[in-house]
Amino acid sequence: MRPDNSIVIRIEGVTLRYGCVEALRDVTIDIKRGEFLGIIGPNGSGKTSLLKCINGILKPLAGTIYLDGRLIENLNPKEIARICASVPAEIPEHLNITVSDFVFLGRYPYIRGIWWEDKQDEEFVKRVLAYLQLCHLKRRKLSEISSGELQRVLLARAMAQNPKVLLVDEPCAHLDLKYKLEVMELLKALSKNGITIIASSHDVNLLSRYCDRIILLNRGKIAAVGKPEDVITERTIKEVYGIEVLIITDKDGIFVIPRRPLPSFSGNGSD
Amino acid sequence: MPILSILFLLSLAIGPVDTSIPETINSLISVLNRGGKAKTLSEVIIYHIRLPRTLCVLAVGVGLSLSGAVMQAIVRNPLVDPYITGVSSGAALGACLAVFTGVTIMGTILYTIPLAAFLGALLAFLLTMSLAEAAGGSDVSYVLAGVVVNTAFSSLMTILIILGEEKLHGILFWLFGSFAYVSWRIVWIIIVPVFALSAVILLYAYELNVVLLGDEQALQLGLAVKQFKKMMIVITSLLTSICVSFNGIIGFLGIIVPHTARMLVGSDHRILLPSTIILGAIILIIADMIARILLKPIELPIGAITSLIGVPFFAYLLAKRGRMYAAGQ
Repeated sequence: MRPDNSIVIRIEGVTLRYGCVEALRDVTIDIKRGEFLGIIGPNGSGKTSLLKCINGILKPLAGTIYLDGRLIENLNPKEIARICASVPAEIPEHLNITVSDFVFLGRYPYIRGIWWEDKQDEEFVKRVLAYLQLCHLKRRKLSEISSGELQRVLLARAMAQNPKVLLVDEPCAHLDLKYKLEVMELLKALSKNGITIIASSHDVNLLSRYCDRIILLNRGKIAAVGKPEDVITERTIKEVYGIEVLIITDKDGIFVIPRRPLPSFSGNGSD
Repeated sequence: MPILSILFLLSLAIGPVDTSIPETINSLISVLNRGGKAKTLSEVIIYHIRLPRTLCVLAVGVGLSLSGAVMQAIVRNPLVDPYITGVSSGAALGACLAVFTGVTIMGTILYTIPLAAFLGALLAFLLTMSLAEAAGGSDVSYVLAGVVVNTAFSSLMTILIILGEEKLHGILFWLFGSFAYVSWRIVWIIIVPVFALSAVILLYAYELNVVLLGDEQALQLGLAVKQFKKMMIVITSLLTSICVSFNGIIGFLGIIVPHTARMLVGSDHRILLPSTIILGAIILIIADMIARILLKPIELPIGAITSLIGVPFFAYLLAKRGRMYAAGQ
C-alpha cells in the first residue's frame, strides 16, 4: 500500500481572510483515514474557519485542499457532501419534522430519483438509526426529544451521508457530563471503524482524552500539532491562551486546570 | 379531490341564471361531446362563460398558492407572500398605463391590460433582481429590494390614478381581481404556463425540504443553495406574474393557503406542495362563488373577498405566532 492511500485530507498552505482579518494563516496538515483529530484554540483562533474550508463552505485565499485525493475546487457540492459530513451545532427553530425525515435528509447527496429515497437509502438510514439506538424515536417530532437525543439525531443525519470524514463543531456544547462522554465514545468508535473525525472544541480536557492528535490554533496559525501530551503543556497554553495552568496527567488523559491570567498578557487578538 | 370536483360543478351551476347540478352535468357532457358547439342557452352559459372562468380560477388558485408556499420556504419566513418581489405593483402600474393611454390590441383594451400588466410585472421583477444582486444576491436582499420596488411602482400608480381620474375608474375592478372577463382564448394562455411552471416546482420538493435547514446546512448536504434559490425566485415570480396579469391582484391567497396546508399536513414539501395545490384551487373557487352570489346580480371583485377572509386569518396567525416566538426565547 502506498503511504498516500492513508491520507484522506491534505491541507497545504491555506490562508483565509474575512475582509482584512486573517482567519487562517498558512495552515498545512495531512489527516489520516480513521484519525480522531481535535482542534483547540482561543475564541477567534480559526477553529470553525478551518472546518468550513475543509467542506468547501469557505474558499481559501491561497493554498490547496485535497479531499480523498481530489482537489476541492474540482468537486461539486454533492461530491463534497459524499466525502465530508458536518454535525451541525443545532437545528433551525420551528423545524417541525420527524426524526426519521430529518435523518433521511442526510441522503440528499445520493438521491437519484426525483422525490423519494430508494430502498438502498432506506436500508442505510435504518442501519444508522439502529447503530445510534434511535429506532424508538423515529416517529417523534424534533421538538419532542431531549437535547442528548437531539445530539445523536444530528450525528445520525451526518452519518446518513456515509462520509469518510466527519466534521464536528463543538460536539458537546449543550450536553451534561454523561452525554458528553457518550458522544465522544460514539465518535471514537466511528474513528475506529475508519471514519476520520475532526472535532473542534473549547473543552481541552475532553478532546485530549479521546483524540489521536491535536491541533492548537493561535490567531489562524498552527501553534502546535501532535499527540495530546505533546501539544498541551503548561508552556504552550501559557503562550496561546495567556493563562497559567496546572496540568495533571493520569491514565485517562490530560487535565488542564486554569489557575490565573498572566498580568502582562496582551490578549490573543480576538473577540 | 372529491370536494374539488363538487365545487367545480357548483361553480358551473351558479350565476345570474342558476342551473341545477344534474342539468349542469348533462349540458356539460353534451356540449363537450359536440366539441364545444353549444345549442341551448344553459349550454352556452356553461361552456362559454362558466367553464373557462372556473378553469381560470382553478389555475390562478394553484399558481398563487404554490408561489406563496415556495417563497415562504426560500425566505424561511412564513409571513411572506408571492408579491414580495414586486410583481403585483409592477403589474398594477402596467395595467393602469394601458387604460390611461387607451392603446388597443385587435380593437379592444381587454388584451392590452394583461399584456401591459405582464410586462410591468416582469419589469418590476427585473428591477428587484438587479437591485438584490447588487446587494449581494441573498434571499433577504431580494425581499428588501422587492419592498423598494413595490413602493416605487405603487407611488407611480397613485400619481397616474390621480391624473387619469374618471378614465381609470374601471381599473379598480382589475386591481382587486376579477374573473368576469375570462374567455376560452385567455384560459389557455393562463392554464398552460401555470401548470407547466407548477410541475417544475413540484420536481424540486425534496430540495425545498433541504432548504428548510438553512443555507449553511443545505450547502453541507450538497445543495448549491444560492443558485437553487435564485432559480426558484425566478420561477415563482414568473408564475405569479401570469396569474396576476389577466385577473388582477388577488390578495392573501398566497399566505392563507400554504399556511393552512402546513397546519394540516406539516412542512414536508412532498406532501405540502400537492396539498397546497388542491387547497388553493378549492379556496379560490369558493371565493369566486361568493363574489358572484353575495350581492347578486352585482359581482364583487374576488380580491376583496380573499382579503376579507385573509385579513382576520392573518391577524390571528400573527398574534399566535408572535406569542410562540416570545415563548421560545
